Amino acid sequence: MLGEILHILTAAVIAWVLFVTVDIFFRLPERGGVSGASAIARDIEASGGALAGGNMMGNIVCSPDASAGTLLAACGVYVAGIPGGLAAALMVFIGNRICHDPGYAGTTGAVLATFVIYAFTQVGFAATDFIAGMVIAILTIQGLSHIHASRLLAQLWRLRQ
Amino acid sequence: MIALYIVAVIAVFAVCRASIEKNTGRKLPYVNVMNFAIAGAIVLLLDHPLSLVAAAAYFVGSTLEANAIASTYAGGVRRG
Repeated sequence: MLGEILHILTAAVIAWVLFVTVDIFFRLPERGGVSGASAIARDIEASGGALAGGNMMGNIVCSPDASAGTLLAACGVYVAGIPGGLAAALMVFIGNRICHDPGYAGTTGAVLATFVIYAFTQVGFAATDFIAGMVIAILTIQGLSHIHASRLLAQLWRLRQ
Repeated sequence: MIALYIVAVIAVFAVCRASIEKNTGRKLPYVNVMNFAIAGAIVLLLDHPLSLVAAAAYFVGSTLEANAIASTYAGGVRRG
């Protein structure tokens, strides 16, 4: 039981690094992709957070990004291995188009996560560890403290620039 | 099995945070966490290959709804 909890926490760290890296690489903190994402960013900034981090958080809410790609890839690998993960990537791609998102952060994240998660399933991890891990990872960004999360994302964004 | 309980607890936590939060713009990230947790729970609960499609359909649908709510909150589409 303790081993499973450690696996889930490790998976959460891996998923966090993966999706934040892909999202920042695809410039999600630069601006809100839709008006709603910018509105969320403004509210986060008004409450003491950072605008760049708020933009990324707004974009995560408004369209499937690399975090959604990682979650659905983990679900896909759990259900059907690598083909399942790639099917998830296709569904994320369709989801991006439905949400008027011109970017490829979600699709790229899903494809990358498929291979990363599959590699970890070969060394003792379960795909379910990554499903729970990704939910914990998104909780740390979107669900604990918007002020601190947005400031951290803004700092990482400055490093990227 | 622990994964399912973790995901379920996070979903309930996110719902509580969204209910407590007064600002509409800041409610949406909490609801987003709930959507992640429920999409994960669908796959963990349903032992069927199509559970992936169900989770993806739920997730994309809920994201589109969040997008619509946020856009309306931002002022919606200006016509004419």
